[in-house]
Amino acid sequence: MPEVFTRTIPNAPEDDRPLEIISDHEYGKLTSDEYLYTSKHPVGEPFLKPEEGEPTYIIYLATYLNFLLLIIIGHIRDFFGKIFKPKEYEDLIEIDGYAPWYDGFESFYVRRLKMRIDDCFARPIHGAPGRFIKCFNRKRDGKYGYLYDGTSRECLNLSSYNYLGFAQSSGTCTDFALDCLKYGTSACASRLHLGTDLHKKCERVIADFVGKEDAIIVSQGYGTNANFFMSIADSKTLIISDELNHASIRFGIRLSGAIVKVFKHNDMKSLEKLIRDQIAQGQPKTHRPWKKIIIAVEGLYSMEGNMCDLPELIRIKDKYKCYLFVDEAHSIGALGPNGKGICDYFQVDPNDVDVLMGTLTKSFGATGGYIAGSQELIDKLRLDYITQGYSESVPPPVLGQMISSLSVINGDLNPGEGKERLQRIAFNSRYLRLGLKRLGFIVYGADDSPVIPLLIYLPGKMPGLSRSLYDLGIAIVVVSYPATPLLSARARLCLSSAITKEDLDDLLIKLSDVGDQFFLKYNSKKLPIEQVLSTLVEDCKKTNLDF
Amino acid sequence: MASSLVISTTTTTITSIATEILNRQLSDGQNLPPPPLSQTWQVILNTFIHHFLKFLNLLNKIPGGPVVLRYIKSSYQNDPIRSLFEYCLFIFALTYFFTSKKKENKSEIVKFSSKEIDELCNEWEPEPLVKEVINLQEWQLKSIPEIVGQNQFNLKKIIINNNTYNDEKQSIKNFASQDFLNLNENQRIKDAAEVEIKYAGVGACGPPNFYGTQDVHVRVEEDLAEFLDSEQAIIYGQDYVTAGSVIPAFLKRGDLCVVDRNVNNAVQKALIVSRADIEWFDHNDMDHLNQILTQLKPVLDKQKPIKRRFIVTEGLFANSGDIVNLPKIVELKNKFKYRLFLDESLSIGTLGITGKGVAEHFNIPRAEISITIGSMANSFASSGGFCVGVSSMVHHQRISSNAYVFSASLPPYSAKVTSQAIKVIKENIDSRTGQSKLMTTLHKITNYTYQTLSRSSNTNLNCYFDIVSSPQSPMIHLQLKETYREKLNLPLLYGNSSFITTGKPSQYPNKFDEYFNLECFLLQKVIDLILTKSNILLTRSKIILEHEDLPVLPPHLLINLSASVTKSDIDMLVESLDAVVYSIFKNIQAENDLINLTNEILNY
Ligand SMILES: Cc1ncc(COP(=O)(O)O)c(C=O)c1O
Repeated sequence: MPEVFTRTIPNAPEDDRPLEIISDHEYGKLTSDEYLYTSKHPVGEPFLKPEEGEPTYIIYLATYLNFLLLIIIGHIRDFFGKIFKPKEYEDLIEIDGYAPWYDGFESFYVRRLKMRIDDCFARPIHGAPGRFIKCFNRKRDGKYGYLYDGTSRECLNLSSYNYLGFAQSSGTCTDFALDCLKYGTSACASRLHLGTDLHKKCERVIADFVGKEDAIIVSQGYGTNANFFMSIADSKTLIISDELNHASIRFGIRLSGAIVKVFKHNDMKSLEKLIRDQIAQGQPKTHRPWKKIIIAVEGLYSMEGNMCDLPELIRIKDKYKCYLFVDEAHSIGALGPNGKGICDYFQVDPNDVDVLMGTLTKSFGATGGYIAGSQELIDKLRLDYITQGYSESVPPPVLGQMISSLSVINGDLNPGEGKERLQRIAFNSRYLRLGLKRLGFIVYGADDSPVIPLLIYLPGKMPGLSRSLYDLGIAIVVVSYPATPLLSARARLCLSSAITKEDLDDLLIKLSDVGDQFFLKYNSKKLPIEQVLSTLVEDCKKTNLDF
Repeated sequence: MASSLVISTTTTTITSIATEILNRQLSDGQNLPPPPLSQTWQVILNTFIHHFLKFLNLLNKIPGGPVVLRYIKSSYQNDPIRSLFEYCLFIFALTYFFTSKKKENKSEIVKFSSKEIDELCNEWEPEPLVKEVINLQEWQLKSIPEIVGQNQFNLKKIIINNNTYNDEKQSIKNFASQDFLNLNENQRIKDAAEVEIKYAGVGACGPPNFYGTQDVHVRVEEDLAEFLDSEQAIIYGQDYVTAGSVIPAFLKRGDLCVVDRNVNNAVQKALIVSRADIEWFDHNDMDHLNQILTQLKPVLDKQKPIKRRFIVTEGLFANSGDIVNLPKIVELKNKFKYRLFLDESLSIGTLGITGKGVAEHFNIPRAEISITIGSMANSFASSGGFCVGVSSMVHHQRISSNAYVFSASLPPYSAKVTSQAIKVIKENIDSRTGQSKLMTTLHKITNYTYQTLSRSSNTNLNCYFDIVSSPQSPMIHLQLKETYREKLNLPLLYGNSSFITTGKPSQYPNKFDEYFNLECFLLQKVIDLILTKSNILLTRSKIILEHEDLPVLPPHLLINLSASVTKSDIDMLVESLDAVVYSIFKNIQAENDLINLTNEILNY
């Protein structure tokens, strides 16, 4: 049959497999009770910085050279391109008295580095991004374009934020969401103008789940942070922010007009020193005392795979009378014996954290964010939080997904299912992490984190890794500067309860091969794959995931 | 940082001596006894030179190092002064590099001992995280309506202020929803959503650039682009963040925008974040705009290279319900070579014979509008926002627009719903007039409502309210008449004007305003009474005064129309509104009457 290529993305092909197989491909069945684990931090023990391997300095040097080369070639291509292919540069020059849409300098990185490996990003998919993800096959055509042949490849999904495996097109939660269609497809008004009983119920369920008095929901996680800080901070407030905080938090802080100080990622000593100095110095110029100090951190950092040191943060905030904001976008659901996030993981009282923010995009297969806090805070926010007044509120099917998935985790709906999901993600995370470590890869982050950044360092290796894994049927995300520090380009593996232990074995075998092929096993200590797999199940359940 | 500073100053003073020693070291390559110098200098120098030589040795080993070494040697031998100069330059670069991280003004920092800091920390008493909702404001919390069941035109049950309204015999007519085309109740839309949820689940579980883009997302972008006659479209996860993400992607420090004074909150915040230079023109005042553009021209003509310039305004204004004077703006923007940013969140799906917004309303090609943003959460009965325009502009957003890059994609079913909604709007186009049937229905009822409202027989309504929205807007804004507001001593505008007068937004949120609160309450009384008496749900503009950066119009009573409203609904609405207005306003004729409402507020 002659292949027909289209430039537009084809429609999703019909899936005529039996429902049973489809749902198994979205959420794999548990194959043995051995493959379960409960994750929590031992109370009272200090939270140590996870041990992270270091490559030899040659790797660093090579990475610099790699960037240098790419930049030089980029400039050369720009130089000649402007002369010989002026048409391609039309976007960068003034035309008819109008400035270009964006600057050549500003866009250099994207044009000359990212565009080279553009096929590793934004692979279009179809269907629920569960255990497997169906990516459309495509090949590049010209500068921006792709050609599609209408087929797709089912890849093991290590890329979606689907920690608890709720990305499903059938099952309890989906049925519940479908049922909520009787409330319509949209909220069609802002929350301040009109709410429904479903909104109220959902707010209640979330507040109870995270252990706060009340909660407020917003239709997007980004929008939750981006517009939140102006409600609690003004220019006489100091916000102390972790240097690796998510863009939405930084945007929100900037909009609030508060003064920001940044502390080194997860460095509690420098945080404490900063707070002491700031309280002593007071506001700039006037030296008046700060009105309040807010510490903003994330529960689980999605690029680093490690958690904030919550017990220490609470000690500091209590000692210095600061307020603590924790963004639980990635930790809610994914961490803790009951899936209740970072507080659950460290066994601290959620009321010790002043503002718990989170999103239901990641663990619960819904979309949108919430802010949970004291009644006083939430009442105030209902009137004072701009997304409540000016933006759409959460649409009913999404509310349905939120309510049902939280109820499953709670055990109110389908008792037992939630527990299994929680224990599977905990096991999977430790299993893969230890496996990768023993194979000689350098991975970042805490043992229990479901996000595993696998260090590539050299940006030149990113496309190779991404493409070969794709060809082997594995979908991963590769990131580098500016999303990470310049030197540490990485692949990010996001685990899910939907993945089975057998999938992970298969993944480890393939990754081991590819790792050898691309010299990614930077650690000096490494074991052969057979040896790694032979004891991995028992070893990954030991308290410390040492080599 | 401090130590690097010290080193650099000492090193520059001793360079001259070091030169001599180095001279020997480099030319002979062996240690000669150093020249007689004072003791301390000698120690410093020796260690310095020791380290320097070690460094040179190290350099020799690194690949490429010998070249650098040879360069240092030869440059030194040819011209010691130049070498010294280069050396100073190198040190300068280093110190500059290390100190360039923003440093507070040293003189401002007071030195404290650790004990003093302890004391200060103990003494410090922060304010609470938020100020409590004051009791004068509590009624606002209670007045948020809660529908039991779907947000649709005919409601069965609704709860406001703990009162349940449900009439067995008659449904409550909902004029508070923004579902202008009534698609939220459309079974075909629901079916499309159901099919998609059964295929792909609810959430997209990933940002668009990382496996979050599904076929339906691409489809809806194509559909939107085609519907709005533009090259490409991009979708966002929420309508409110769209402006805040698109504007800063194109407007940077040094760029210029000329903005209508009455733009909505989303655009205000977007402008603050962009840090572009802003000029304000009076609301929809084209002479003023012309004047500003003319004044700016001589300055801008000298600009080299030219910066981006935008005129920023809204299609159908959210704050006042009137329509932008698009033909004149397009003329001006082309004359002065500005681009046009237009927020069509409320106008797309409500204006134009096939719902394509103000551009179609005025018969102006979409290409004249460089950036159009809109919302899918109103007329399309879906969720999220979008932006349409030329390919290179849209493409830039896919990598540089915050809310697109750093947030998960829209749920796939929402994308599907929008596609379906566009299909429904485009159906049944009259081949003779080119009008969409659905849009015609909405336009007809809108027209009828304005006629009915402005009938002279509504004596009370006419006595107390002005219709401030344009007669094509399905969101009808009623504002208390100026003469009446004067009588009650209500101000012309609320909020602050610092953004307009100083160019910088106020550093603090606006304070609670008692009159604003009272005026809102007055409107709420109308809403409550008409709901009780006639089973009609109206709403009012719910401005969050604290976070408005521009002067705020008085609160408005809002009547949101939709395609399923009938003429008899309107007749009933107007008739009972007129009566309700009379019964409420007859008792409030002076400032004191208004202030006496405070008691009622506290007991609401
Ligand atoms: C820490 C953090 N906060 C907020 C968000 C935004 O959430 P959403 O994708 O629901 O908009 C993200 C998502 O990437 C995140 O990582």
